[in-house]
Amino acid sequence: MSKFRLYLEENNRSPVKQLWREFRRQHSAMTGLVLFISFFAISLLAPFITPHDPYLQVDELLLLPPSWSAAGLVQYPFGTDDLGRDLLSRMIKGTSYTFGFALITVAGALVMGLILGALAGMSKGVKSSVFNHILDLALTIPSLLLAIIIVAIIGPGLMNTTWAIMLALLPQFVHGIRNAIDEELKQDYVVAYRLDGANDWHVLSRLILPNIWEKLTIMATMAISTAILDIAALGFLGFGAQAPLSEWGAMISDSLDLIYLAPSSVAIPGLLIFTAVLSVNLVGDGLKTAILKRRQS
Amino acid sequence: MTRYLLRRLFLMGFVFLALSLLAFSLGYLFPGDVVQNVSGLRPIDDNQRQQLISYYQLDQNILQQYLAFLGRITQGDWGLSFSSQQPLLHEIKLLLPATLELAAYALLLSFIIGIPLGILAAFKPDNIIGKSISALAMVGYSLPIFWWGLLLIMFFSLALGWLPSAGRIGVLYEIPHSSGFMLYDILQADINYRNEALHNALQHLFLPTIVLATFPTTVMIRFVRDAMLNVWEQNYIKTARAKGLNRGQVLYRHGLRNALLPVIRQIGLQFSTLITLAMLTEVIFSWPGIGRWLIDSIYQRNYPAIQAGLLVISTMVITINMLTEILHAFFNPLARRG
Repeated sequence: MSKFRLYLEENNRSPVKQLWREFRRQHSAMTGLVLFISFFAISLLAPFITPHDPYLQVDELLLLPPSWSAAGLVQYPFGTDDLGRDLLSRMIKGTSYTFGFALITVAGALVMGLILGALAGMSKGVKSSVFNHILDLALTIPSLLLAIIIVAIIGPGLMNTTWAIMLALLPQFVHGIRNAIDEELKQDYVVAYRLDGANDWHVLSRLILPNIWEKLTIMATMAISTAILDIAALGFLGFGAQAPLSEWGAMISDSLDLIYLAPSSVAIPGLLIFTAVLSVNLVGDGLKTAILKRRQS
Repeated sequence: MTRYLLRRLFLMGFVFLALSLLAFSLGYLFPGDVVQNVSGLRPIDDNQRQQLISYYQLDQNILQQYLAFLGRITQGDWGLSFSSQQPLLHEIKLLLPATLELAAYALLLSFIIGIPLGILAAFKPDNIIGKSISALAMVGYSLPIFWWGLLLIMFFSLALGWLPSAGRIGVLYEIPHSSGFMLYDILQADINYRNEALHNALQHLFLPTIVLATFPTTVMIRFVRDAMLNVWEQNYIKTARAKGLNRGQVLYRHGLRNALLPVIRQIGLQFSTLITLAMLTEVIFSWPGIGRWLIDSIYQRNYPAIQAGLLVISTMVITINMLTEILHAFFNPLARRG
C-alpha cells in the first residue's frame, strides 16, 4: 500500500537500515534485543566473569540462603546449593550451556536445512513430492518428542541432546526454506535472469538467498526459543546435561528435592530460562512487525 | 473431495508404513540383545532363546522379520515390558485414558479461553485491552512449562495448601475401573461417596490442566488474533462495511467465519504439542499417564516399552492430525487443492 507523502523525499536507504529503523521504533523489541545481547555476551564470557568456581564445593557454606535474607552473605548473592557451590556462578556458567548451545543447535540446523531445502526447492517432480510427504510426517511429530526419541536411542548427555534437537528442528527448517524458495522461483525477475542464461546456482546465490534472508532470520529466532525450551526440558528430565554441569533445566531438577528448604534455587533458574526465551520471542516478534512495515512503506 | 480423500488416505498409508519401519528398526537400533529387545523377556536361557528365535522368525531374512513384526502388532502381541514383565498393550490400555483425559480438558480450556481473547485482542489491537492480551500471550508463550508447574505447586500446594500436588485422586477413594477416564468412572460407579470423590478428582485435575493448557491457550490467542487482523484487511470486509452492515454484523457474518476456519486445523497441531507437554506435566504432577510411563521407560532402558510407547503416541498424533486436515478440507474447499 502506498501512502500519501507530503514531502517527496528519496528513500534510498539499504533494506537493513530500513529494517533497523522500523525495529528501533518498537520498545518491546528493543528490550528483547538488549536482553538477548546480554545473554549472548554472558554465554561467551562465562568462564571469565564467574565470581567463584561453579564446581568448587565449600563445606562450611551448605545451603546458604540468598543475600537478601538475613542469614545470607553478600559474596554469594543467590546463596549456595546443598553441596556448597555458588549459585550465581553456576547460573552464569549455565548461560553458555542452555543459551549458547541453543544458538549452536539452531546454527547447525539452519546450515543443514539450507542445504536440504535448496536441494528440495530447486528439484521438481516425483522426487520433490516424495520428499515433501516425508517432511510432512516429520513435521507432525513435535520437536521435543522427536528429541526424546533420538536421545533414547543414542543415550543421554549434553552433546547428544544438541544433535537430537538439531535433527528435530531440521524438518521445519527444510519445509520453511523449501516453501520460501518455491515462492521466489515464481517471480518474474527469476525468469528474466534465467533467460539471460543464468544456471540454478546463479539463481540461488544471487537472487533467492538475498531475498529469503528475512524469512530465515524469523525462522531462526523462533527456533532458538524452541531450542532453549527443549534443552532445558531435556535437562530437567535428566536426559540432557549430566550431574556436575550447571545447565538451567538440570539445576531445577537438582534442587527439586530442596523445594521446601530453598525455593529460590528452583525459582531463579526457571526465571532465567523464561527471560531468555522471552527475549528471543520479543526480538522475533519485533522483526516480524518491522519486516511487514518495511514491505508496506 | 473424493480425490482429496483418496490422496490423503494414500498418504496416511504411506506414513504408517514409514512409522512401522521405524518402530521395527528400533528393536535393532537399541543397544543390547535383539531377542530381548523384541520379546521383552529377560533373562533368557538357551532353550527358550531357540524357541523365541523361531517364534519371532529372527533366523529368517529381514523382510520376513518385518512381516512377522507387522503380524504381531496387528494381533496385539506387543511383547513384554522389561521392568514389570507384563504385556505392553495391557499396560498402555490402562495408562492411555489418563493422558487423554488430561489433554482433552486442556485442549478444551485453551479453545474456550483462547478464541474469545484472540478476537478481543484483534478487535482493538492498539488500545490497552488488546495490548495487555498480546503481552499476556507473549509471557505465556515463553514460560517453560515444567517451571510454571513447579511454581504453581509451590504456591497453591506448599504455601497455601489448597490443592493437592500429585496423583489423580486421593487414596481414600476407591473407584472401580471401567473406562479409565476418572470423571466418567466416578459418575458411573455405584458408590455412596460419589460427590466427595468427584470433588477430590476435580481438585487433582485443576493444576495439571491449567499448566498443560497455558501454552496452547497462548498459541491460540496469537493465532486467532493474527487471523482476525488478516481477515479484517481483506476487500470483502470493506465491501460489507461499505454496503452498510454495522461492525457486529460484519464480524459475525464475514469476519469470524473466515478467521475461525483455520482454527479447525489447529486442533490437530495443538494435540501433538499437548501430548509432548503432557509428558512433562505428568512427570511434575506424578500423573499416572503414558507420558510419565514413557519417560520412566527411558530411565530404565526399557526398550520394548519405548518402542511401544512411540508407536502408540505417533499413531495417535498422526491420526488426529489427518482427521482434522480432512475436516478442515471438508469445510474449506480452498484447502482441497495442492
